[in-house]
Amino acid sequence: MANETRGATDVLSRARTWLGTFDGSLIGLCVASVAVAFVAGLLQVSFGAYSMTILEAWQAVFDPKVLFSVRAWQSFFFGTELPELPKRTLIVWNIRMPRVIVAVLAGMCLAVSGAIFQAVTRNELASPFVLGVSSGAGLTVLLTLVLFSSLAPFLPLFAAVGGSIAFLLVYMIAWKGGTSPVRLVLAGVIVNMVFTSLQRGLFFFADDLGVVQSALAWITGSLTGVGWEEFRIAVIPTLVATLLALAGARQLNLLLLGEETASSLGMSVERVRFMLSAVAILAASTAISVAGIIGFFGLVVPHIVRLIVGSDYRRLLIGCVFVGPALMVVADVGARLALSPAQVPVGVVTGVVGGPYFLYLMRRQEQMGEI
Amino acid sequence: MSQDNSNTDGIATANDTAAGSQSSRRDRPLVGDDVVLSYSGTDEPVIDGESITAEPGAVTALVGPNGSGKSTLLKGLANQLRPEAGSVLLDGQDIQTLDTKAIARKLGLLSQESTSPNSITVEDLVYHGRYPHRGFFDSVTEEDEAAVERAIDLAGCGHLRDREVGSLSGGQKQLAWIAMVLAQDTDVLLLDEPTTFLDLHHQLEVMEIIETLRDESDITIVVVLHDIEQAARLADRMVALKDGEIQARGQPEDVVTERLLADVFEIEAEVSVTPHGPRINPIRARHDGDEHAADDDSTGAERAEEVVAE
Repeated sequence: MANETRGATDVLSRARTWLGTFDGSLIGLCVASVAVAFVAGLLQVSFGAYSMTILEAWQAVFDPKVLFSVRAWQSFFFGTELPELPKRTLIVWNIRMPRVIVAVLAGMCLAVSGAIFQAVTRNELASPFVLGVSSGAGLTVLLTLVLFSSLAPFLPLFAAVGGSIAFLLVYMIAWKGGTSPVRLVLAGVIVNMVFTSLQRGLFFFADDLGVVQSALAWITGSLTGVGWEEFRIAVIPTLVATLLALAGARQLNLLLLGEETASSLGMSVERVRFMLSAVAILAASTAISVAGIIGFFGLVVPHIVRLIVGSDYRRLLIGCVFVGPALMVVADVGARLALSPAQVPVGVVTGVVGGPYFLYLMRRQEQMGEI
Repeated sequence: MSQDNSNTDGIATANDTAAGSQSSRRDRPLVGDDVVLSYSGTDEPVIDGESITAEPGAVTALVGPNGSGKSTLLKGLANQLRPEAGSVLLDGQDIQTLDTKAIARKLGLLSQESTSPNSITVEDLVYHGRYPHRGFFDSVTEEDEAAVERAIDLAGCGHLRDREVGSLSGGQKQLAWIAMVLAQDTDVLLLDEPTTFLDLHHQLEVMEIIETLRDESDITIVVVLHDIEQAARLADRMVALKDGEIQARGQPEDVVTERLLADVFEIEAEVSVTPHGPRINPIRARHDGDEHAADDDSTGAERAEEVVAE
């Protein structure tokens, strides 16, 4: 009995701690993100080769034949057969909607991954891309596609393996009794270069143009043609990685105080870093395995969130979980509809928009590097 | 009871013959036994086999010129640097065998340079001091809150608690960091040059915090100080290092002598005894080949022994 009440107050006080992290700026950010993602998602499902009005799109989105159909949801989540649906509903729910949802997952993964890497390395310039994780994962994904195409269902796993190898390489090169932001970035650039060259080399081993084209889409990062299958691949790792990241927020906060302080407070710094890096690699690999290498995203999104809510990782990660998806959906709307009927890979959009924005941040901030 | 007394006596007389002997938990909170410390990448150890005992419930000050190894010794005592040989005993147990969080519940360390994100508030920073007392999924308990309140109160930074650390002056920052280690609620506290780079007001403020801790709790403090006069005024015991070797140890008035200043700090100075402890009036820097003020024959080690013998 006493135990129960203690458990209850414990839960209550924990809920209070987390609720306490929601201040005005964070709530505003989350609400705005949801609104932006919603509007962009609606645009995404409304427009396209098969044209329909916004009203028709709305009706299709809220079609009770899908919303209240167990079979439809079973088909989305478990890949069983889809029930018979009207054409508009089918297009919205089977082609356009999964793309929006996968964009949400990929955006969440990349933002969370970048945020973790930035704390683990205490480096504002860190991201899965800079630390070589993306190019390592990309290489193994390409290897799988080009040489072992029968192993395609295990893509996220291979991507994670490749990402981990690249990250360890970067860390080993940069390690000299400790690492510094600059050395990490430099090591990342070198490993990236090697892995990118290997990726290019692989193109020459591809048998047909189709493989080359899909490989190219991978390398630039594209959500074209993703469906519920990609959703099923990504949803569990995304949730796991995000929850683990949120659970580790206090550890991340302590890492920001520097290795010396963290270890004098009793943290096994290397072990915690290693485990949190594993979470970040899982998140990045998940995004890469369904959407390819989307550059700049994991770097820029945590920055934007940090500018608004500050560097407390409880708030920062919650912000990333909302802002990442919103920006990814918006970027994908741009990728799909801006040059309609032609589509560009979403990685092109994030690169073209994210690069200059990052430069702007660099100019505005006097110091960049260590958090 | 009588056993307790004899132990205390033992420490007072046989200063720093170091561990090995029966060290009861209360009387030997922190002992470095013949420790050899070096940094990776260098051949020569910085500290080559020195022993040190922190006097329980008192303030021990480590002094010495730049590069004398005083901060290194402190790092070794705090388990931040693994000794190549010898051992560090915390409450009589080899610190290497203890869990890192268990160590951090008993021993707090304030490093010389602490960095933090600018946007963290003082209160949040102080709460980090509770890290070793909390499990991975534990939420804040009343005990944590009480410890944080006590620490903020003791460090006198209540008026700063909602300020962002990035907006504070160097002295205010140091108070916030001191509050953080105080929130750790440890029996042993190691401070690495807590007053360096602070203005006089904050230097005195930090010294007052240390004095309060000594007078009102039985916390054991080891502090590295740059300013030898300040150290003499603050400490119950002083340990002077040069080139990684302990040259002298004992009561401040025994350690701070003109001869020691010449040998260890390479300065010529006048030392006068005042009610506030020894007062140093530096005259000039000594250079190699200078005539020694006192008799020049005895080596530094012998002199150290003389000092201890006194």
